[in-house]
Amino acid sequence: MQGSELQKYFHEPLFIADIKATTKNDAIEELLNLFLETKHIRNRHIVLEMLHTRETLGSTGIGKGVAIPHGRTTAASDVLIAFGKSEAGIDFDAIDGKPVHLFFMVIAPPHDEDNVYLPILGSLVTTLNIKKNRDKLKKVETFEEFLSVITGE
Amino acid sequence: MLKKDLEMLVALQDLDLMIEEADDVEKLGFNITGCSELKNARDELAGRLSKSLLFRYERLRSKLKRAIVPVKNDICLGCFLRQPTSIGTKGREDDEIFTCENCGRMLYWID
Ligand SMILES: [Zn+2]
Repeated sequence: MQGSELQKYFHEPLFIADIKATTKNDAIEELLNLFLETKHIRNRHIVLEMLHTRETLGSTGIGKGVAIPHGRTTAASDVLIAFGKSEAGIDFDAIDGKPVHLFFMVIAPPHDEDNVYLPILGSLVTTLNIKKNRDKLKKVETFEEFLSVITGE
Repeated sequence: MLKKDLEMLVALQDLDLMIEEADDVEKLGFNITGCSELKNARDELAGRLSKSLLFRYERLRSKLKRAIVPVKNDICLGCFLRQPTSIGTKGREDDEIFTCENCGRMLYWID
């Protein structure tokens, strides 16, 4: 999946340029709250439990300052991605032990018609493996700037 | 039937989906180490459901992959067929578990 295809899963209300959280749990909740505020998800505790359970499977902090908490839940109907950035960095039990600055939360329904969930995760990993992209994302202040990095424009 | 059962079923299916896709997710570059912990959590949760409900869930899962599906705008997101509006009103409020008349999956109202 190309960055240009990724674009449609991001929405401005699911974007935070400056995450307030300072802990892993608070960061997860702060991102999840975006889905609740925009009414993409109604049942907070079910999704929160799913995300915490996912972390017990292995931290979604994939290293180099990036975390991609994700999961399918019966409490969602669409695949959506929230983005948040922390300048100070948050300890997320990442595999390299480094603080996380860039967060992408991917929430998907139990089944997505076009089977995009895994390709989305793969595409995010690929995009974020590129140092230039990470450096640019750490500096974005607006949703437009953010999208231009994601789409590679 | 208690609504609590419905929520436990949702949590159980979320867990099962996670276990199912763990290998695929690992291939994408994620670090997966807690599979056995996750399976234990799954069994613990399954043990809290009544035998009959668990049986119903497992049977639907083996036949249809997803036993319980979201309903949005009166559409069953398992088979994409519109549900009668009257069921929707009850489905949101009742403790009973409703099933899709077309595909048989258990329904979970999310709007
Ligand atoms: Zn159906």
